[in-house]
Amino acid sequence: MPPKKRKAPRRPGKRRKIKRSRFPWIKLSLILLLIVGGYIGWLDFQVYRQFEGKRWSLPARVYARPLELYAGLSLRPAQFTNELRALGYRFVSTPRRAGEVSRDGNRYQLITRPFTFWDGRERSQTLRVTFSGQQVTRLQDDRNGADVALARLEPLEIGSVHTARQEDRILLQLSEVPDTLTEALIAIEDRSFYQHSGVSPRAIARAFWVNVRSGEVVQGGSTLTQQLVKNYFLTNVRSLWRKVNEALTALLLERRYTKDEILEAYLNEIYLAQDGQRAIHGFGLGSLFFFQRPIEELSTAQLALLVGMVKGPSYYDPRRHPERAKQRRDLVLRVMYEQTLIDQAEYQKSRNEPLGLVGAVAGTSKQFPAFVDLVRRQLRRDYREEDLVSEGLKIFTTLDPQVQWALQKSLDERVQPLLKEHPEMQGAGLVTHSANGEVLALAGGRQAGFAGFNRALDARRHVGSLIKPAVYLTALEQPKRYSLATLLDDGPLEHQQTDGVWSPNNYDHKFHDQVMLYQGLANSYNVATARLGLDLGADAVIRTLRRLSVSSPLNPYPSLFLGATDLSPLDVTSLYLNFASGGFHIPLRAIRSILDGEGEPLQRYDLEVARVIDPQPAYLINRALQSVVEEGTARSLNYRFSRDLGLAGKTGTTNDLRDSWYAGYDGAQLAVVWMGRDDNQPMGLTGASGAMQVWSRLYAQTGAVRNQPALPDGFALHGVDRASGGLADSGCADTVQLPFIETGALPPPAPCASGGARKWVPEWLQ
Amino acid sequence: MVTIKRAFFLLILLLGACSTRPPSQLPPVVEGGSQSTESLPPGEEAAAAPVIEASPENRASQGAVVALLDRADHYQRLGDNDSASATLERALRIDPRNAQLWHRLAAVRLQQGKVAQAEQLAFKSNTLSGGDKSLQARNWALVARARWAQDDAAGARTAERKAAEARR
Repeated sequence: MPPKKRKAPRRPGKRRKIKRSRFPWIKLSLILLLIVGGYIGWLDFQVYRQFEGKRWSLPARVYARPLELYAGLSLRPAQFTNELRALGYRFVSTPRRAGEVSRDGNRYQLITRPFTFWDGRERSQTLRVTFSGQQVTRLQDDRNGADVALARLEPLEIGSVHTARQEDRILLQLSEVPDTLTEALIAIEDRSFYQHSGVSPRAIARAFWVNVRSGEVVQGGSTLTQQLVKNYFLTNVRSLWRKVNEALTALLLERRYTKDEILEAYLNEIYLAQDGQRAIHGFGLGSLFFFQRPIEELSTAQLALLVGMVKGPSYYDPRRHPERAKQRRDLVLRVMYEQTLIDQAEYQKSRNEPLGLVGAVAGTSKQFPAFVDLVRRQLRRDYREEDLVSEGLKIFTTLDPQVQWALQKSLDERVQPLLKEHPEMQGAGLVTHSANGEVLALAGGRQAGFAGFNRALDARRHVGSLIKPAVYLTALEQPKRYSLATLLDDGPLEHQQTDGVWSPNNYDHKFHDQVMLYQGLANSYNVATARLGLDLGADAVIRTLRRLSVSSPLNPYPSLFLGATDLSPLDVTSLYLNFASGGFHIPLRAIRSILDGEGEPLQRYDLEVARVIDPQPAYLINRALQSVVEEGTARSLNYRFSRDLGLAGKTGTTNDLRDSWYAGYDGAQLAVVWMGRDDNQPMGLTGASGAMQVWSRLYAQTGAVRNQPALPDGFALHGVDRASGGLADSGCADTVQLPFIETGALPPPAPCASGGARKWVPEWLQ
Repeated sequence: MVTIKRAFFLLILLLGACSTRPPSQLPPVVEGGSQSTESLPPGEEAAAAPVIEASPENRASQGAVVALLDRADHYQRLGDNDSASATLERALRIDPRNAQLWHRLAAVRLQQGKVAQAEQLAFKSNTLSGGDKSLQARNWALVARARWAQDDAAGARTAERKAAEARR
């Protein structure tokens, strides 16, 4: 021990010296190694997680109804062309690939795209569609001429459900991507992609040299792998640290995955454009966003444009900077030619091709914002927000683009000329299929692209005379007391109420003495309706309205009979659907079905009906609503529409002309239109001069179907004298045929019916 | 069957042509799609506007409906009532006034155990059945089964009586 002690003064020093010179170095290296190793391990884990885990959250996609083609379909060639254009079909001389169509007069030849629907996959078909007039007369397989009973086109995508600033993409597998695209991409962005191991020192050196020579950053030395990493994990901050990180991660990525896996991820990840709050990522969605076509249908020039955009998506945005984008595209084409990816002929042809972009709104929710709003509300009621924005659901809606375009056009045409005098003029409309409650079209305001206040759903306005059918139905459901010919008193009325005297007036400021019940509704006489309502009682009318699924507050005062209550166009649609469907309540539906991210059925919204009006009164109220068009306030429709159609409807006008309403239907569809000002000021239109004109334009475009319900059992038709409301015979000149319930009240013989007495005799004798 | 239907349809057309209508002051009817109504200038309600006639009756669409009915049969045999229901709804979009389709949908709902809906759909079928007593009988029989399933014995017996009446 002593020697040790003796040596101690020196050796500890020596030891310390050794410790200082050797141990700290190793320790430091070890710690560094541990940190770096740990960091690399962490990076590696991130790489793994990003790749193997759920890589991307996909917004739910929303689709319009698919167009069903069959012999007998009512459709004009112009409408068919519009539909095909919206779907991005190319008009060519001879269709060879899916998404191509040729037209020869009334004959179309096309190759459809495959699509997975709720009830299975519709494969690509080669079709021949022949039109005659306003109808498809024949549908054939174009290869052998065999008749095809039915074919579905793929549905138009009309929007997606995403969060603010969310990425959106359509996932592609490498096999689905045209070789031209990947080859061009590699030729432009990273020629040594298949040789390097994540980073390319040569490319960096070359880029460095080029940049130094020109004094600015001209070229990037990043490999595709590095670019992918940059898109995947890192922020956009330019720093050396980020560069190192990027390179490290790229090396790790290459160690773990094959070139093809990396390329596929790149093709799906790359950022290409901004669509409002939605970021467009990947070539799959990019192709649809710019060309409204799947990527496999793009031309060489279009593929080159997308490849060129990778370098700077906003700088080369072809919509904002078409010239710049074209130059970049042509550069890509030249490189492709130089690299012998395309031959000279293809090069020249592609250079001369226009950019071929679709408008910025095609294929986005900007196209039909009001309808997509309704869909979102229904979805949010039934699904969790996080599932909607991440699970890649496919939402199949009921929107019929043909009807939607027609509705918006009709509304804008009517509103536009009024804006000079009434800049505040607005309108809204809703079209539904009256047999199944499917919402076919919805306009929330006067401009199609404006996604603001959705008046069709949220504007609650005085409905005026639109409420009257509920009063008349309440009466007609008491057949012992009331028939369509029952006389109502339209003379001056003074009704004592607790707060004074109520004396309603007619719109024309005249009284009409005795009118038949159906005439009261047809001409929308306020006084006759008020008397009828008072006879029935407010409670009875409210019970009727509740049964017809009006759920908003209703005041139990006589003013209710004349429409002193607020409803939205959606509420009115729900109410009138009861009449249009022959007495059935049908819940409105905007969604048919939903598929999950894997294309498996997730949910279907069944068609449901519930009888709320018995067949006999349902028939009578339809007849009364038809008389509104035949001879009442909507009679000017007869200038445009054949009387044979049996159109039915009701006008609505509120005090001082603040609201203009029309709810009307044919044998297939119900459309409700409202016009007015958001500030509820008078705007000078009646129901007939405003909303009904929109309705008329709409049905002129979509075509009308006969509304002719079958006469239920227990009915008899009688001629009635218009003047007296009595039963007519050959002695009466001006008569109207009305249906009567056999066991119900019948009017007495009319004064003009001279043969009336004779007719009774044989019956007495029997 | 199809030829009988077609003949019947022609008969209706002929009768329709014979029926007297008051002479109208309406302008001549423009048939066919050559004159598009889309091009009407705004505010144009003048007498010169063409009259919109009813869209042609889609007898030809029966081919599509029959194809869908076959497909619905196929699904039902496989026990896939959801697809059968979706297929029948597809057919109803093409031919919404076809009472047979509504009856078939009611039958599928009954199999799905949605008995209240089955009953309502049978009512709907009846309102469109016209004079088809045999279909009415089948609808009432279906209503009876739906009511038995809802423990509504009195209602079920009423429906059975109506089915018997319709069969007579």
